[in-house]
Amino acid sequence: MKGARYTNEEMMVVSIARQVRDFETVAVGAVSPVPAAGCILAEQMYAPNITLLMLDVEEYYPFSAGSSELHFLAQRGELDLFFLSGVQIDEHANFNLHVIGNYRRPDVRLAGAYGSGMLYYMARRVIFFRTEHSLRTFVPKVDFVSGAGVTPDTVYRQGGPSLVITPKGILEWDNRTAQWKILYVQPASSYHDVQAHTGFELRPSDSFRYAAPPTNKELSCLRTVARYKLEATYPDFFQNNVLRD
Amino acid sequence: MGVPYLAVRGLLGSDLLSYRDDFLVRENPFNAGEQTVLAQSIRPDVAVFHALKADKFGNAITPGRRDDAMMARAASTVIVTTEEVIEDRLKETDAISSTFINGLDVAAVAHVPLGAHPCGCGTLYDLDEIHFAKYIQAARSDQTFSSYLKEYIYDLDSHEEYLAKVNSSANSVHLA
Repeated sequence: MKGARYTNEEMMVVSIARQVRDFETVAVGAVSPVPAAGCILAEQMYAPNITLLMLDVEEYYPFSAGSSELHFLAQRGELDLFFLSGVQIDEHANFNLHVIGNYRRPDVRLAGAYGSGMLYYMARRVIFFRTEHSLRTFVPKVDFVSGAGVTPDTVYRQGGPSLVITPKGILEWDNRTAQWKILYVQPASSYHDVQAHTGFELRPSDSFRYAAPPTNKELSCLRTVARYKLEATYPDFFQNNVLRD
Repeated sequence: MGVPYLAVRGLLGSDLLSYRDDFLVRENPFNAGEQTVLAQSIRPDVAVFHALKADKFGNAITPGRRDDAMMARAASTVIVTTEEVIEDRLKETDAISSTFINGLDVAAVAHVPLGAHPCGCGTLYDLDEIHFAKYIQAARSDQTFSSYLKEYIYDLDSHEEYLAKVNSSANSVHLA
């Protein structure tokens, strides 16, 4: 079945699944259907030995107390991978989940960062997911720093920015040069398209490639197993963004 | 926990630290050279929860993640409204996949069926999206919000009247 139809969100789910490493302890926060589905796919197909923790998904939340358990686990340094969104993400890997405009008199007050200002420092890798790849998302400087990409040595830090996954491409954070680089261009996009919709200069990563489209196996697994496990938590996502086989 | 503050990792470099005076940056006294954030504890005067069930001793079961229990502990006064009042004493083990709020922490329980509206209450009823949209519109300015409060709260005599009013608006049928 060459050229199977798929949505932007499905491509992002598959992109995430391919980036999860086996044996990692991986956590997914609330209101995060794309990484939630990506991790189910990873566990089914590529990384069967991950420890997967997901807020609001009972099967994957083995704690008796609330979301504080996840935060404490990260504070203890036991979290390998976490996923964040960012309404704005900038050249220096700062992200913004607080306000657009001035903090005291914002144009838009966003929902807030919840634990992300801590998780961004204490998870070994953080992968950003953003369904909108545009100049208003990828800005030279965020309006408000919810979490900083780079910090001085006096700050205890286990990890930080790793990747940004969008429908156009995957950016990789180069720790050595403190820059975002283009790791993958998604099948529906081009190198020029990614750069044109990013508000700062990108260079190709040494391992730059065009991403392979989702395989039939990946799509079926997402549309059956991930749907079955997550539909109760994310009914709208599966209704609107995941096709039926 | 009842501690005056906690030391947390992360947050350094965030703009939050310039706006919040309850966050301080201090050196870790046990690890020279490491900066940490001290976060002052939050002690609300009042916390209000809507429960699935509550008993006359103040024990209550609320839906969802168990962060409610921590908030109940933190607040000086806790008020519980509830879908149902139970005769027998509720126990911690009655809260499977839900949250147990200890009666020790609770000052008052009120029987208010459908009291979470326009929010939802566990699997009992969903949030009322139509009413929520109306609320969000109203919250855009002080003026529109005052008229919202007048229409849905101050001009009404009881919760029953409120329910009758919101139930008559389109698409709230799931409340019935």
